[in-house]
Amino acid sequence: MEKNHVLELIPEYLDGVLPVEIQKQVEEHLLKCPKCQKEMEEMKLLFNALDTEVVAVPSDRLKAKFEEALEAEKENMGQVVSLTSRKRSNWASNLLKVAASIALLVAAFQMGSLFQQQKVDENISVLKDETLQMKQTAMLSLMENQSASKRIQGVNYIDEFEHPDEAIIKALANRLLNDENDNVRLTAFEALSKFTSSETVKNVFIDALGQEKNPSIQIGIIEELVKIQEKKAIDPMKKLLDEEETQPFVKEQIKTGLPKII
Amino acid sequence: METLSDEILMQKVAEGNLDLLKVLFDRHHKHVYHFLYKMSGDSMLSEDLTQDVFYKLIKYRSSYKNGSFVSWLFTIARNNLKSHFTRNQRHHEDLGVLEYTSVENESEGAEDHSQLQHALNQLDVEDRELIILNRFEDIRYEELAEILGSTPGAVKTKVCRVLKKLKKIYLENI
Repeated sequence: MEKNHVLELIPEYLDGVLPVEIQKQVEEHLLKCPKCQKEMEEMKLLFNALDTEVVAVPSDRLKAKFEEALEAEKENMGQVVSLTSRKRSNWASNLLKVAASIALLVAAFQMGSLFQQQKVDENISVLKDETLQMKQTAMLSLMENQSASKRIQGVNYIDEFEHPDEAIIKALANRLLNDENDNVRLTAFEALSKFTSSETVKNVFIDALGQEKNPSIQIGIIEELVKIQEKKAIDPMKKLLDEEETQPFVKEQIKTGLPKII
Repeated sequence: METLSDEILMQKVAEGNLDLLKVLFDRHHKHVYHFLYKMSGDSMLSEDLTQDVFYKLIKYRSSYKNGSFVSWLFTIARNNLKSHFTRNQRHHEDLGVLEYTSVENESEGAEDHSQLQHALNQLDVEDRELIILNRFEDIRYEELAEILGSTPGAVKTKVCRVLKKLKKIYLENI
């Protein structure tokens, strides 16, 4: 330590802020080292001057103005609350704007999809018409097929038509009257029995009753004619009663059915 | 309230308890004023700038971030002084950049100033500022380092060096 000067430590030594141990070492060194001693004495003079320097003091005006500003700020803080509430109403109107724009968007979208829907509906109805026509063609051609099962298939297509046109009814009647296969005739009869309100169908049934030999078809026709109370059917039924070929249970059916047609 | 640290008080101010700024004002406004006065030598200007420092404290209270309060306060004070002189410099092109008017040049007369002030005025601005902050306003090395953007060790060495310089000028003039 003796050889190391403590010049750098002197300010802190004079301030008394050095750790006790170092403070002691500096003291010891100062006793032996005239150079450092001189430095310390000089520094002491400076510190003395620094400590005794007259301190300039601000006027009271400063404090008064500060407190004025502080009060103004406190009032402002009160206004800040009202400002935020104004902000909130602003926020609410913004929300309304957003809501309105969303509503507009949704409305536009709905309109668009509505028009689109109408277009699609038109397309679909056109398509439906087309498929119905195709089915009708298929049905009619199937009914002319050589194979009995194909003809039955064709007749069964009637389920696809809610309001079959005259061509279909005529084709079905043709099957009922003229088909050589019992099953085809039976199917044709069942198909036609759904449209007994049609005058054509009634006449076909009456015709068929006159010439039909299959008892199950005969019974079916009789039941239908009785159900619709067809007066014109009375004559052919009586004729059937008189015929020997007619099965007894068919005659039985006619006997119970005839009184109901009045 | 009187015993709470500056930092805790400022924290409360930042949270909205504005009245506590009065305590901080009472504790520090003389130091701020004195610093500005020693740097500018103009008492009216120093009062205005001190005023402005505390206005800024009110205005920017919510931007206080738990650092040393004294460092923050004197950073604002230094910036105020700097921007004042840069502004003035812009109006009077002949003034040197940041070369603060020394107390000697004031109209109050040289007799009013001590030998020490005379010596101080011969230091350059940076050194003068360092001595004033450390010796007159009792700002510790750690806080000085924060204000000047340096490290406590470097600040300590620099203060020591400037003290020697000042001592030399002072003793020469006695």
